[in-house]
Amino acid sequence: MDDYDMMDGAGDQPQVKISGADSTRVEFQLSKTNLSFANSIRRIIQAEVPTIAIDLVEVEVNSSVLADEFIAHRLGLIPLDSSTANELNFTRDCDCEQYCEQCSVTLTLNAKCQSDEIMKVYASDLVVDGRHSSNVGKPVITDPDGLGCLIAKLRRDQELRLTCIAKKGIAKEHSKWMPTSAVGFEYDPHNKLAHTDLWFENDTDPAVEWPKSKYADWEDPPQEGEPFDYDATPNKFYFEVETAGGMQPNQIVMSGIDALIWKLGGLLVGLGVREPEKEAGAGGYDGPRSPDMNMDGGTTPWGQDGYQSAYGGGGQTAYGGGGMTSYGGGYQTAYGGRTDYQGSSWQ
Amino acid sequence: MPGRTTKEDTPQDAQMEDAPTSAQVGEAQVEDEIEEDQEEEVEPQRVRILPGSTDTAASFEFIDEGHTLGNALRYVIMKNPDVEFCAYSIPHPSEPKMNIRIQTYDGHAVDALKKGLADLQDVCDVVAEKFWTKREEYNAEHGIAR
Repeated sequence: MDDYDMMDGAGDQPQVKISGADSTRVEFQLSKTNLSFANSIRRIIQAEVPTIAIDLVEVEVNSSVLADEFIAHRLGLIPLDSSTANELNFTRDCDCEQYCEQCSVTLTLNAKCQSDEIMKVYASDLVVDGRHSSNVGKPVITDPDGLGCLIAKLRRDQELRLTCIAKKGIAKEHSKWMPTSAVGFEYDPHNKLAHTDLWFENDTDPAVEWPKSKYADWEDPPQEGEPFDYDATPNKFYFEVETAGGMQPNQIVMSGIDALIWKLGGLLVGLGVREPEKEAGAGGYDGPRSPDMNMDGGTTPWGQDGYQSAYGGGGQTAYGGGGMTSYGGGYQTAYGGRTDYQGSSWQ
Repeated sequence: MPGRTTKEDTPQDAQMEDAPTSAQVGEAQVEDEIEEDQEEEVEPQRVRILPGSTDTAASFEFIDEGHTLGNALRYVIMKNPDVEFCAYSIPHPSEPKMNIRIQTYDGHAVDALKKGLADLQDVCDVVAEKFWTKREEYNAEHGIAR
């Protein structure tokens, strides 16, 4: 694909090794790549994987001791099943006025305490609308009693009656949409690169203050008196992705990479990487001046009269259906279409 | 968008006051058809070239991007042997902007940027594919049915 060593030959490709996995977490080692890229993966997994969370709460009756907004906040943090979050649109992209079944899931809660005992209201008491065939938006319940997380406690005659609208979102907007509870990210366990200071008190033992991580056994310890290698760069990264419950851990990783590819695809479309057949139509558009038009102009400085667009003249044309292909390409063939891992192989 | 109306800007504005509503409706319909053709709403422009750029040395400003894209993209663009220099910065933490500077030995900075985006996609593809196959292997080995 390239005229230079991006990834020709399997030896130079990034490598992945899975060292542990269960239903809540996956541990893997990413190697033969660079800190920048590995960190992008971490950041996107934590902040830009779309999930479902309660976003709007209409309180009809709340005679509990907790304030409406307090309960609304607690409801927002309840993990909801997001393994099929792709089924839903983002509300801002949806055609509807406010929200609809294509971009939201409605959950209702109806609880009243009628005994002298304190009543506990759990996530399992939320009733999901039956408008979705999948589990999307169902509260995640993993405890053996099948209760889910505690929302509120009610005394005799206290009542809680409310409707929740769950929407798709990303953690950049609000952390309730985080798919993960934690992402471990580590490299260079022996601190050979001295990226970490490992500070310690004078009268303490640094080896005790800074115990070696479990990954220390995976890499060679530094030799006694070894000179500092100033050319060395980190190339092995240890990830531990732990789910918050709404998604399978490996699905989180895949969706994260997916999100990054989409982000890049969107920018490529914006920059006017268009299909050849669209090219003709694009020419007639008298849009913002494109750098493409400057191709044969030598080193003409851009933007004498202020800012100009990096978008191609046909930037808008590229959206018309053809936009999809620039996202796809090798990606779709790589693992068989966007929806593949959302389907049967995951459930 | 603004570029399109430049030619007839003044005469059109003058006519607008007297023009029958039907004429305006017709224009609106054409607009609608264009919108439909695009199938998607036109996204606000998210990349621009900063003033003072030349063909081989340009600065790009990305709106709503951050270290996630910036650092990885910088790394991938630096791998291109035609690129002399590439760096990114976030000029101010409270502005959602990310700047990338690209200087090339040969060829256009815009091409280097496009190539960087495409190459980063390819790297993502490889990692996604590797992760997927390794996870399948792991599941098979450990008898995890999923």
